[in-house]
Amino acid sequence: MIRWLTSMRTAVGLLIAMTALAVLGVLIGQQLPPEVYVERFGHVLGTFIFRAGLANIFRTWYFVALAGLLTLSTVVCSLRRIAKLGASPKHRLRSLGSLITHLSIALIAAGGIWTAAGGLRYAAPRYMEAGDIMDVPEGGFSIRVDAARTEFSDEGQLSEYLSEVTVLEDGVEVRQHRIEVNEPLVHNGIGVYQFQMLPAAKSVREALLGVVIPADDAAPLHLEVPAALYERVPVLDTGISVEVLEFLSDFTYDIETRTAGLASPRHDNPAVFVQVWEDGQLAGEQWVFIGAAGHETEGMPCRLFFLDYIPDFDRGLTRFEFTRQPGTPLLFFGFAALSLGLCLVFWTRKAPPDPA
Amino acid sequence: MGPNPDMMYFWLALWCYLGATVAACIYAGVRRPAVRGVVFALTLVGFLANTVALVIRSIASGHPPVTGLFEYMTLFAWAIVLGFLLLWRRKGLDLIAVFGATAGAFALAMASLFPSEINQQLIPALQSYWLWIHVSLAVLAEAAFTVAFVASVMYLIGQGRDFRGMPDGRKLDTVTYRAIGVGFPLFTIGALFAGAIWAQKAWGSPWSWDPKETTSLIVWFIYAIYLHARFVRGWSGSGVAWLSVLGYAMTIFTILGSKILGGLHSYGV
Repeated sequence: MIRWLTSMRTAVGLLIAMTALAVLGVLIGQQLPPEVYVERFGHVLGTFIFRAGLANIFRTWYFVALAGLLTLSTVVCSLRRIAKLGASPKHRLRSLGSLITHLSIALIAAGGIWTAAGGLRYAAPRYMEAGDIMDVPEGGFSIRVDAARTEFSDEGQLSEYLSEVTVLEDGVEVRQHRIEVNEPLVHNGIGVYQFQMLPAAKSVREALLGVVIPADDAAPLHLEVPAALYERVPVLDTGISVEVLEFLSDFTYDIETRTAGLASPRHDNPAVFVQVWEDGQLAGEQWVFIGAAGHETEGMPCRLFFLDYIPDFDRGLTRFEFTRQPGTPLLFFGFAALSLGLCLVFWTRKAPPDPA
Repeated sequence: MGPNPDMMYFWLALWCYLGATVAACIYAGVRRPAVRGVVFALTLVGFLANTVALVIRSIASGHPPVTGLFEYMTLFAWAIVLGFLLLWRRKGLDLIAVFGATAGAFALAMASLFPSEINQQLIPALQSYWLWIHVSLAVLAEAAFTVAFVASVMYLIGQGRDFRGMPDGRKLDTVTYRAIGVGFPLFTIGALFAGAIWAQKAWGSPWSWDPKETTSLIVWFIYAIYLHARFVRGWSGSGVAWLSVLGYAMTIFTILGSKILGGLHSYGV
């Protein structure tokens, strides 16, 4: 068994087998919904791929077993090399490098196993906006969002996703942090990352309304009116003005309570609630939806359309992902050792020939 | 916005590399020192133009030229030609060295297929100093693999044939091995280690089995197999030359594969 494990053929065979499985994994795609495999490969093959675990190939027992055997093989080989290390002064640095390289594989594997066994990773169940608090029981703290926003450059290009948060322990503020894409919050061993970000669901920076005013003996007047929230905007000199009072990014209506609300924080069905004023008197009010005309109402001097809008990115919603990766330091140490080992093997001068 | 200021030098570099390729083909036939000089001069001018293009682009964009496939392939061409220029003075290897510009021309031609607009504002995920550490080391490693690939292809072409001036098979085998010996540690440090650190900071996990991560691991496996075969067992010849070719094919797939396979790297290169 030891001879088999330390055999070069075994190591190369294991590497080839893992390479073949990795190629297969890349080609068929990983962790996709079952219906995607059926669509791509047909019913029989697609179902087989999913049931044989090929859709999650890097967590199958056979891939893990191959990785485990390869690690074991490198460890056993390394132990045998330790004994030989002091025997010959020739190529000592290279031999040391080779030993470090092979042992580092075991460190990397151990780091991965540690994280797999004791780590966690999950996305928060809900989006949060400024003022919201969420408990992180695994870390023994809570997190309060103070601000969540998406920033843009002067040219209008996306520049940063930001979540300003306060960490609370037993209700007491212990630290503040500004979470950016490359700057997660790490507290009590728990990493807090931005998983998703949305513009405000109940606020809008500017709505673009279409206003159609009928005329008795001429074609109706079509106008476009940009309006910020709570801003009463006159429609030219027609005596009509409009005011956007509410915005809902995904409108739904509860028939029992007869109230409008949010179906989700996504921007799937945006709507604005608009009041129309004529000569200083309220003429009517209604919900208007993107892509549809507002309904005709008695007394309303015009028809409304909700043409477009600029979302409110300053009062956004953030959704966090929480991770604990206990094996990562060991894994990085393994990578550092691997790098050092390879540099010693390939980038050190050959030892002078043995005069003997 | 006007045309990109770096493009004039980009095209100059590409035309010089193409000219050097034509001259290299002539040199392979006639073996005249004057033609060899023309190849060297064109390669050098192309390399300088390539360098100027990268510098101008870096200044104009405010960040190193390592974002997007246009910049990546332009930097890749530069690193490839640099690798071959280092071979230039090695005795008996001039027939490999003269074809460095050919590999550079391929890389620049590939670059020209991708959008070349200068983007001053990096997307949030790329705003990290790990970007240039990770990408530039990976590019240097892949350039070394290119040298190994060209030497392996020459080995396979020359095997059993008597081409005038073709470097000795053993020399080609050594060039392949040494180039992989340069590229493999660089690839480990840059593509895998630096990539894992950055992934931990940006995505919350050092490894996610993303298609680009997985194909990079496959590249690492293939060259690890090569090195075990060549270094430990002392194997040489066409078998390991084919392994080098296979490793390089996977390297190119890793560079371009995100466009097909998507994944976490699909916004970049």
